[in-house]
Amino acid sequence: MILNEEQALLRETVAQFFNEKAPISELRSLAGASDEQGYDLQLWSEMVELGFPGITVPEVYDGLEFGWMGLGTIAQEAGRCLVASPLLSSVVLSQNLLLNCGSDAQITTYLPSLMSGEATATVALDEGRFFNPDAVAMSDASGTLNGQKDRVLDAGQSAYIFCIAEQASGERGVALVESSAEGVSIESRRTMDLHSSASIRLDGVPAADIVWLTGYDVASGIQKTIDQATIALSAEMMGSAREVLERTVAYLGEREQFDVKLGTFQALQHRCAHMYCELELAESAVSAALTALDHAAPNIGLLASSAKALANDCFTLISSEAVQLHGGMGVTEEMDIGLFLKRSRVCNQLLGSSSYHRDRYARLIGF
Amino acid sequence: MSQPESHPLSKEALAEFRADVANWLEANCPLSQRQPIVREEQIWGGRRRVFPSSDAQQWFEACRDRGFTAPEWPVEYGGAGLDPEEAKVLKQEMTRLGCRPPLYCQGLWMLGPALLVYGNEAQKREHLTAICRGEIRWAQGYSEPSAGSDLANLKTKAEDCGDHFLVNGTKIWTTKADEADWIFCLVRTSDVTPKQAGISFLLIDMATEGVSTSPIPLISGESEFCQTFFDNVKVPKTNLVGELNGGWAVAKELLKHERKMMSAFEGMLEKPAMELLELADYAVGSDAQGRLNDAELRSDMSRHLMREAALGQLGERIYWQGKAKQVDPRLPLLMKHLGTSEAQAKDELILRALGDEGLSMEDPNVSPGLRKMVKQWAFNKSLTIAGGTSEVQLNIIAKRALGMPSGEGKS
Repeated sequence: MILNEEQALLRETVAQFFNEKAPISELRSLAGASDEQGYDLQLWSEMVELGFPGITVPEVYDGLEFGWMGLGTIAQEAGRCLVASPLLSSVVLSQNLLLNCGSDAQITTYLPSLMSGEATATVALDEGRFFNPDAVAMSDASGTLNGQKDRVLDAGQSAYIFCIAEQASGERGVALVESSAEGVSIESRRTMDLHSSASIRLDGVPAADIVWLTGYDVASGIQKTIDQATIALSAEMMGSAREVLERTVAYLGEREQFDVKLGTFQALQHRCAHMYCELELAESAVSAALTALDHAAPNIGLLASSAKALANDCFTLISSEAVQLHGGMGVTEEMDIGLFLKRSRVCNQLLGSSSYHRDRYARLIGF
Repeated sequence: MSQPESHPLSKEALAEFRADVANWLEANCPLSQRQPIVREEQIWGGRRRVFPSSDAQQWFEACRDRGFTAPEWPVEYGGAGLDPEEAKVLKQEMTRLGCRPPLYCQGLWMLGPALLVYGNEAQKREHLTAICRGEIRWAQGYSEPSAGSDLANLKTKAEDCGDHFLVNGTKIWTTKADEADWIFCLVRTSDVTPKQAGISFLLIDMATEGVSTSPIPLISGESEFCQTFFDNVKVPKTNLVGELNGGWAVAKELLKHERKMMSAFEGMLEKPAMELLELADYAVGSDAQGRLNDAELRSDMSRHLMREAALGQLGERIYWQGKAKQVDPRLPLLMKHLGTSEAQAKDELILRALGDEGLSMEDPNVSPGLRKMVKQWAFNKSLTIAGGTSEVQLNIIAKRALGMPSGEGKS
């Protein structure tokens, strides 16, 4: 990333903040919590105090309008420490879905409570085993909302759920329901990366409890939000991949076998050099996508799919190699390396696997 | 360089220069010389040069007489004496009009810039002028059968015989040596260690008795490369460039310029017969939704296109880091390995897509454009070998970008 002075300062502040307040030991402490709890509330309130929720929000809505490169910086630093927080579910997905699909009145009604940390929200998008935003069965039938959603991030701690669903008119829409509304049941689980997500069932949620977003172009607003979140998640993944590669290279520089440092072996050097090439290649795609968001570039779908497919492949490679190159230590629960491995596989499924994005890329180009 | 101290030109002077150059190019570059260049029509100069057309000759001679074959070299050596800003304007205007490079020559890209730094006055006068005027074609004599990636291991010996060196040995991968007039060589003049400290840089006229050369047929059916043999070749001592045993420094200077000059010509080459997507659709066909019939090929093509785009984005990142003075010196180290591997990945996709039509380089029933792609696939296997193998690149990345400790072999 190429950062201006303000962004570089932000990076420094954020890195220091996460290192102090959210080291990986904090993530580990979630293992003992109830499945509904996906992040530490105290940490989240400090992130709110630093202004993270308003980072990309336009000034007209009292945001910082600091841009997506700024948000990408925060996401990367969060990725380095494997921070669990509602940054993706509430700040990136929910807030932007509201901004992209809501009317002005709806934005001014719901956004302030999200930005102030008074409440968090999440987006219910996936249905079934894989990410596939084109297949949505949840629908408004005879005035009530029905259906099931899966991999809804941080649902157990969210006050609001934005459901992607079919409206009575047959058009794709966004239904805002409170998580406490009648007919909403949430079944949380802790995924292996220690984050929390849920399957949600809506059984006849009454029309009175549903707010359909009524912005200018809801269908393209949904797609835009998905692209924004895909790019932000890719940035987070690049932070994690960079961290785990650095840890691995450092380990090889310390560990001795056969009376020499492991890092002197060419076979291992070449594997690390290969990983570093892949890392910077993917980083370049992610960085280009963040820049494009800041300039409202038209081909954002292509850039988002490129960024995510490259980030998936790169983080998968590096986290697997990291375990192998740490030898026996790599498979112990004591080392953090395994957490990077697990996080990478969860991230692969969030917002689209590499197969999904390669298929979408081909569709967008037309082959 | 014996150029006056650089004094930044005023905007007005530069604009005037641009207008002047644009007019001159309009007047002197025939329309046929504003088409993308094909390999057969490149002008390489030399004692045996032939011009592909009278237009090409006219364009070459106009540039030669104005010093535009080597715009930044001093006028007294046959260049145009332009400062870097002016040279940039000339390049921009030539690109805008699509003018072909007037002269291709290893002397221009590699030897010349090194001579400007390390050559003595007599060498500059003799050789630089002949290069600019396209009179002498140069070949490069670096690698040897036993000195590839380990270049410093070279064995071609130059023995001190008073007024001349007696050269014995052989050079390999000497590009187009069978068409070259002179060759610049790295030769061993001492057996000291480290091996780099016993190497000298020598200019050899290939018409001298004892020099012979033979082409090396490649797996692509072409033979751009040769092996050149030196059998008791007498080389005057005045042909030594730089210090005796100081050839390694000259060689390094020369490599610095190679990439820079070559990149100036990139993008001016003829487009391939078909772009990848068009070719895949032609060869494997698509379904009603426009999806390629081969699902795995389609997915692999997506992967390749994404990586190719990311390579461009990496290049832009490096460029903007330079502009913003936030240079990450590790990034340029990655370009050669990543770029050449991805070029080969593309060739493999082409070959897969072509199916039956990709199985012969000579079949007259296959269009010449497609056959050229198959030859390219074979030829491009050299990309990850020439100019520093991928393995050497990975060594460099591990040590210089990742700071991994030295051990085992040295490179």
